[in-house]
Amino acid sequence: MKSSDTNPSDNAADADNSESTTDSEKRFDVTTLPQETNTQKIIRRIDVPVQLTRIVILAFILWIWQSRKIFSGLKIFGVEILPEIIPLFQGVPTEAWDYVTKVWDDSLFWEDFWVTLQEALLGFLYGALSGFIVGMLLGRFKRAQKVFSPFLIFTNAVPKIALAPILILWYGVDIGSKVALATIIVFFIVQIPVMAAVSGVDPDLDTVASSMGATQMQKFKLVVIPGILGPLFGALRLASIYAILSVVFGEFLASKRGLGQRLLYQINNFGMGAAIALMSLLAILALIFNAGIGFMERKFLRWQDDSTRGNVVSL
Amino acid sequence: MTTNAVSLQDVSLIFGGKDTDHVLAVDTINLEIPQGQFVAIVGPSGCGKTTILNMLAGLIKPTVGSVKRHGQEVQGPSRDIGYMLARSALSPWRTARKNVELGLQIHGVGKSERKERAEELLELLHLEGFANAFPSQLSQGMRQRVAIARTLAIEPDLWLMDEPFGALDAQTRLVVQAEFVSLWEKSKESTVIFVTHDLEEAVLLADRVLVMTARPGRIKSDNLIDLPRPRVIDELRFDEKFKAAEHKIWKELRDEII
Repeated sequence: MKSSDTNPSDNAADADNSESTTDSEKRFDVTTLPQETNTQKIIRRIDVPVQLTRIVILAFILWIWQSRKIFSGLKIFGVEILPEIIPLFQGVPTEAWDYVTKVWDDSLFWEDFWVTLQEALLGFLYGALSGFIVGMLLGRFKRAQKVFSPFLIFTNAVPKIALAPILILWYGVDIGSKVALATIIVFFIVQIPVMAAVSGVDPDLDTVASSMGATQMQKFKLVVIPGILGPLFGALRLASIYAILSVVFGEFLASKRGLGQRLLYQINNFGMGAAIALMSLLAILALIFNAGIGFMERKFLRWQDDSTRGNVVSL
Repeated sequence: MTTNAVSLQDVSLIFGGKDTDHVLAVDTINLEIPQGQFVAIVGPSGCGKTTILNMLAGLIKPTVGSVKRHGQEVQGPSRDIGYMLARSALSPWRTARKNVELGLQIHGVGKSERKERAEELLELLHLEGFANAFPSQLSQGMRQRVAIARTLAIEPDLWLMDEPFGALDAQTRLVVQAEFVSLWEKSKESTVIFVTHDLEEAVLLADRVLVMTARPGRIKSDNLIDLPRPRVIDELRFDEKFKAAEHKIWKELRDEII
């Protein structure tokens, strides 16, 4: 679609000339180029060499893990990168798979799954919403930002994970304390970049809207919110992963139900295969979360190049 | 006596508070512009040209003096003013057509009417094939044309243009200038205040050229340009009468820049 700037009157002149010129004049015909079929298109998009390399790498990782080679210790230049692991603490992929097949039909397992999912979703929702609103208002109203920023900077500097024991005292061992922890962590992950992004919105866009008599609400809707969607989605992707991290940590500390609680129980009982399975499951949950946000991002940021849009944030 | 479209009386503007460093941006400007006149303001950069536009657009208030439109004091932004900035300032997330619709949307015009009006304007500016393109997919000249369309979509009666073609290369500028001037010549009712640092552009387009001094900005001279309309911009550049007019004003301007 990129087009050089053409003089429209020249275009008109071209059109006139083309009638008078003879057909024998040689021109390049784009339609003579070989056309790509749909199957070819799909194959190109899948990028087979990349996929094959990935499968090979995955198979290699599973193989050295399954064969317990990684448990015999690894030294590089005399530095112990991997210690030797006693058999009791070893876990291999097939054991993890056994655990998955065992719990798949266990309704208690799915209850735990639902508890963790609920905690993460609610914490994400509350934190993201409040972080978005506060970030936007403070970014927009500099006076308010001046008043509140020392408080926010201090609160953000608190190692928030350390709030978890207090939150458990305050909100109880059920989902409340985990939702609270996730909310606080997600809030700052969203609020800070949103506030910064508001200042980054092109001031000319604001001037244009103002000169057209836009109200403050209209400017939020037409200039500020669309202008910060890029950084907002970046923050949301990060926040989705941290929401799961916080609830798992909360469940580690004290909880009756949840996948984090299950995970801690398995580790305490040397159920290494189960622990690996549960961690992988939590990772898959985070990726599904992330993909959902990515889907919305593509919908809203259609105007951005693929190159400028963020990929999955992995931490 | 009819009231003028624009009238500035003893207008001065100081930037900065009472105890901070303050800068006198414009100094005692007096200016009367009748309806339908095309006025260009030239002057060295930082002389307060944009400030005058901002005051007329109702975005800032003068420290002293009065800014009036049709005899009424300017209180704030008005719906019948079109303001075009130096950079196209298009919303990157809106297609060309949606960008043109911005003012209409702010004014609460319905969807279908907005679309119709925007498509009409895009066609006038030879952009009909690019209605659904995003600004990043357009060239500089096209973006500037979209910005013109956006400015005119609300059918303003006063057009404020702040160095609108400054970022364009010389050839594109000629084309866009010609399109712009013919749009204005067709509208005929509208008043234009066109800020530029390019004297040739000012003389080519305007009925009247004001030269401003370096900061604090004052009006140094007020020159009527007696060239016939409609003007053929690309040819007019080589006209002797045009050259003489430009040369005369250049002598005024050079003292301010050099």
